[in-house]
Amino acid sequence: MSIVEKYKKYRKAGYFDKFDYHWGMTIDLDRCTGCEACVVACTAENNLPIVGEENYRLKREIKWLRIERYWDGDYPDAKLNFIPILCQQCDQAPCETPCPVGATYHNQDGLNTQIYNRCIGTRTCAVYCPYEVRYFNWFTYKWDAPLEQQLNPDVSVREKGVMEKCTFCIQRIRDAKDTAKDEDRRRVRDGEVKPACVQSCATEALVFGDLNDPDAKVSKLYKDKRGYKVLEELNTAPSVVYLKKVKAHV
Amino acid sequence: MSDINRRDFLKFVGAGGVGAGAGFYLADASKKTVEYLIPQVVPPEDYVPGVASWYNTVCTQCDAACGISVRTKEGRAKKIEGNANHPVNQGGLCARGQAGLNALYNPDRVRTPLLLEGGRYREISWDRALTELGRRISSLRIQNQIDKVSVLSNTQSGHIGELLDRFIQLLGTDHYAQYSVTAPHAIQEANRISFGEPTLPYYDIANADVVVSFGADYLGTWLSPVHYSKAYGKLRQGRDHRGTTVQFESRMSLTGANADEWHAPNPGSEGLLAMAMANVVSRSSAVADAGAWSQSLSAYAPSRVAEQIGIDADKIEAVANAFASGNGLALAGGSALAGTNGVAVQVAVNVLNYLGGAIGREGGVIFNSDGPASKAASFAQLTEFAQQLGDRGTEVLMLLDANPVYDLPQSAGFSAAIENVPFVVSVNSFLDESSAMADLVLPLDTYLEAWSDASPNPGVGFSVSSIAQPVVQRVFDTKSLGDIVLGLSAQIGSELPIELPWTSAEEYLRGVWLDNYLAAEPGGNEKSFETFWRSVLSAGVVGQRPASVGGANVSLNSSATSGMDFGVGDFSGSESERPFVFQPYESVMMGVGRTANSPWLQETPDPLTSIVYGSWVELNPATAKELGIREGDLLEVASDSGTLTAPAFLYPGIRPDVIAMPMGQGHTEYGRYAKDRGVSPTRILSDLTDSRTGALATAATRVSISKTGERHGLIKNDGITRTLGRQILGPHSGGH
Repeated sequence: MSIVEKYKKYRKAGYFDKFDYHWGMTIDLDRCTGCEACVVACTAENNLPIVGEENYRLKREIKWLRIERYWDGDYPDAKLNFIPILCQQCDQAPCETPCPVGATYHNQDGLNTQIYNRCIGTRTCAVYCPYEVRYFNWFTYKWDAPLEQQLNPDVSVREKGVMEKCTFCIQRIRDAKDTAKDEDRRRVRDGEVKPACVQSCATEALVFGDLNDPDAKVSKLYKDKRGYKVLEELNTAPSVVYLKKVKAHV
Repeated sequence: MSDINRRDFLKFVGAGGVGAGAGFYLADASKKTVEYLIPQVVPPEDYVPGVASWYNTVCTQCDAACGISVRTKEGRAKKIEGNANHPVNQGGLCARGQAGLNALYNPDRVRTPLLLEGGRYREISWDRALTELGRRISSLRIQNQIDKVSVLSNTQSGHIGELLDRFIQLLGTDHYAQYSVTAPHAIQEANRISFGEPTLPYYDIANADVVVSFGADYLGTWLSPVHYSKAYGKLRQGRDHRGTTVQFESRMSLTGANADEWHAPNPGSEGLLAMAMANVVSRSSAVADAGAWSQSLSAYAPSRVAEQIGIDADKIEAVANAFASGNGLALAGGSALAGTNGVAVQVAVNVLNYLGGAIGREGGVIFNSDGPASKAASFAQLTEFAQQLGDRGTEVLMLLDANPVYDLPQSAGFSAAIENVPFVVSVNSFLDESSAMADLVLPLDTYLEAWSDASPNPGVGFSVSSIAQPVVQRVFDTKSLGDIVLGLSAQIGSELPIELPWTSAEEYLRGVWLDNYLAAEPGGNEKSFETFWRSVLSAGVVGQRPASVGGANVSLNSSATSGMDFGVGDFSGSESERPFVFQPYESVMMGVGRTANSPWLQETPDPLTSIVYGSWVELNPATAKELGIREGDLLEVASDSGTLTAPAFLYPGIRPDVIAMPMGQGHTEYGRYAKDRGVSPTRILSDLTDSRTGALATAATRVSISKTGERHGLIKNDGITRTLGRQILGPHSGGH
C-alpha cells in the first residue's frame, strides 16, 4: 500500500469507528438562547487567559467557544439568530495537515488535539481552519494574584507563541475513562462526561456523548431531521451537528 | 574558649541542653519550618492532592438563589457548577454564576479592616475595628441618641436577614432600610391589588403553550433566569408540542431575540396592550365573571387603542386569540414595569392571565402563598432615608454590602448626605463608590466563604430551602455579615449579647435550623438533627416535591382595575426638545453593576451586541442614518437631569424613537477591572417614580442625542452579522 493510499484510508470519515469512542456533540439552536453561560464555563474550566482591553481590541481574545450572532431582516421585522461556534473536531480536519511540526493531530477518540509543547507558533492551522476556532497566545498572560488560585490544575496553562483550541474538555474525558477503568467497566457510560459548556447549559441545548454508542442521547439527536453540519460542503466531516431553529409564529 | 576541642564542645552542648530550658526554647523558635513533600500522613478528606471535593452552597450573584456545587482542590475553589439536585436551576448556571470565583479571588478585595486616619486608610485589626465601632454606637446608646445611628443594607434574606433585623431592633434605631435595585416592587404591589397576594408567584413557563411577555427578559435577567431557561428548553423541544413565545418590548432583550415574534409597542403603552388583549380574551373566556369583565373592558377593543399602542389591531387580535386558545401565560417586567404606570401594567397583565384561565393552572401563574413579603425600600423611601441622614444628624452610618452612591441617581442625594455623616462604616468585600467614602471599612466574606441560608423567591411551586456553607477557607482576613453582627453586639454590650448569645453565624444558623427541625419532626432529637443537617449540607437543598404543583386558591379582585389609569405613562422632558425615550436595561453580564469587577465577565461578549469592556448607546439604524451617526461615534446623551457620553451602537432591534443603554459599568471605584470603564446610565435618570410604589421609573426619562465629533471604537467579538447567503444557520435558512 502506497503512503498516499494509507493516508487516504486514514483520513476517511469514520475511520475511528473501530476504536472505542467517537466523541460528538449536538447543539439544538431551537433551545440555545445565546446567554453566554457556556462561554464563561469554558473560560473557567480551561484556564483561558484574561487578555485585557487593548489585546481584545486587537482581536487577540481567546475564547474556545463563542456565540455568533446573525441578523435577519430589518426593523420592525429584525430577527436575531445565535449559533455557538467551537472546534468542530473534524474527522478530516484542514488544520491538521499543514502543521510543520505535527503539533496538532487526531487522537484515537476522534478528537482534534493540540500538543502545546510541540507547537512553534507558525499559526498555519488557524489560517486553514474554516471555523476560525484556533486561538493564538500573543503573550504569556498573567493572572493578578490571587486570581491564579482559581486555575484548574487539570489543564496546563499556555504561554506565548502557542496555539490553543477547544479540546471537548479532554481532562474530563480522561477522568471518566479512569473512573470506568477503576470500576472495571470497559466503557464510559452515556452522560458520564459533560464538557463544561454542556454542563452549564440551562436550556440543555448542548448534548455530548459517544457516537459509537447507538443508544447514546447524542447518537439519537445526530439523526434528528433538523440536523446539519456547518460548512459541511468543505468536506471537513465535523463531529458537531447543529439542529436547526424552528421558525414559528402565533 | 579558643582552645576548646570537639569533645569538650559536645560536653558543653550536652550540659547546656539539660541545664537551660531557655536555650532550647530559643532554638525551637528560630529553626526553619521543616517542609515535607506530603504534609500529612493521613490528610483531611477534603485535602487529598489531586482529588477534587465538591461543596454545595447557594449563589448570590443575583437574587434568584440558584444552588451551586463548587469544585475545590487542595483547598482552593476551582469551578462553580449548577447543583443538579436543586429545583431552581437543575444543574444549569448562568455566566454571572460561573464568574463567582472572580469575586472570591479578586485582587481588589478589602483584605483587612481599614480605618481612615489623616486622609489615608490604615490597616487595623478586627478587634480594634469592632471596639472602635462598638464604642461609638454604645456611647450614643447611653446618651439616648441611638436614632443617630443609621443602617442601610442590601436586601438580606434567610435567617441571616432575620438576625440583622433582630440586631437592629435590639439596638433601637428606627432608621434602617434594605434595598435592591432590581426589587420587583410593581409585581408585588399589583399582585396585592389584584389577588391580595403581595408576593412573587411561580410562573410555569415549561408547561405553557403561548408565553406572552411584556418586557420581561426571563432568559436574561428577570427574577430567576436560569430556572426560566430550563423551562424554556423544555417548552421548545422537551415535550410533545413546541410552545411559542411572543415578546412585546421597545428594545429587543435576550428573550425578545429568542421569541417567535417580537413586537415593539410605543414606550409606556404596555398596559393598554395587555388590556386590549384582555378585551379579546374576555369574549371567549371560561371564567365565571367573564361577562362582567367583558363589559368593563369594552373601551379597550384593539381597534380603538391600536394607534396609541403602535401595533396593528389584527396582530393584537391574533396574539390574544392564540393566548386564549392554548395554555396562555403572560409576564411583565423590564421597561414595561419601569414606567410611572408600572403597577397598572402588571394589573392589566394579571387581568389578562385571569381571563385566560392562567391563574393556578399548570402552565400558568401559581401563587405559593408562603413567599416572603418584600423588605426592599423603594426609591422614594431611599431618598427620604438620605434626607433623614442630615435631618436627624446621623452620627454613625452603617452601609451593609450596600452601594447607594453608585446604585441610585444623583437626585437621591446619597453622596452629599454620606459626606456629612461624621462616621461612616462600610461592610463590603470591595472598595466600591460608597465604601471609598467610609471612615471604617470592614471586609466582608464573599458568598463562597460565609454561612447563610436561603429560600428562593420566586419559589419553584413548593417550599425549598438551602444552606450556604463556606467552600474554602477565607482568602483574606474577612468576616461574614452574621459574624460581624454578633461581634458588634458583643462590643456594644448591654442586653445585646444576652439576646444574641451565639459566638458565630454558623452556631446561630445551626441553632435556628435545629429549632425548626424539632418543631417539624415530632420524633426528632439532636442526634437525628445532626444526620439531617449533614444531609442538607451535602445535598445543598431540602424540600419536598409534591405530587402535583397546586397553588393557593386566588381569584381576581373584581375592583382590581378601578381607579387605575392604563394609559401611556408620564415621561420627564418635553417630546420636542428630548425626542427619544431612554431605556437603561439590566446587563446580562454586569447586572446592575455588582459583577462589573469580574475580569471574566468584562471579557465575555454581551449576548446581543457582542461588545466587551465598556458602555454603548443603542439606537435604531434608521435613526442613526437620519442623524448621520456611525457605529463608534461618541454621542452626548442629555436628559433634564444630566448628560453622559458613550459610543453609538446601531441596533436593529430597537424602536427608532428609543435609546437604550446597559447598566452596570461606569464605576469610579470598585477595583481595577471595573474602575473608569464605561458610563452608568443611572446618572442621567430623572427622579420620576411609579406613582403607586415609589419605585424609580427607570424607563421614564426623555433624552436628546448629539454627536460630539469624537470617535471611540467599540470592542466587539462579532465580525459580520449577516450570513451573506452562507447556510450557517442550516440548509435553506435563507439570510442575506
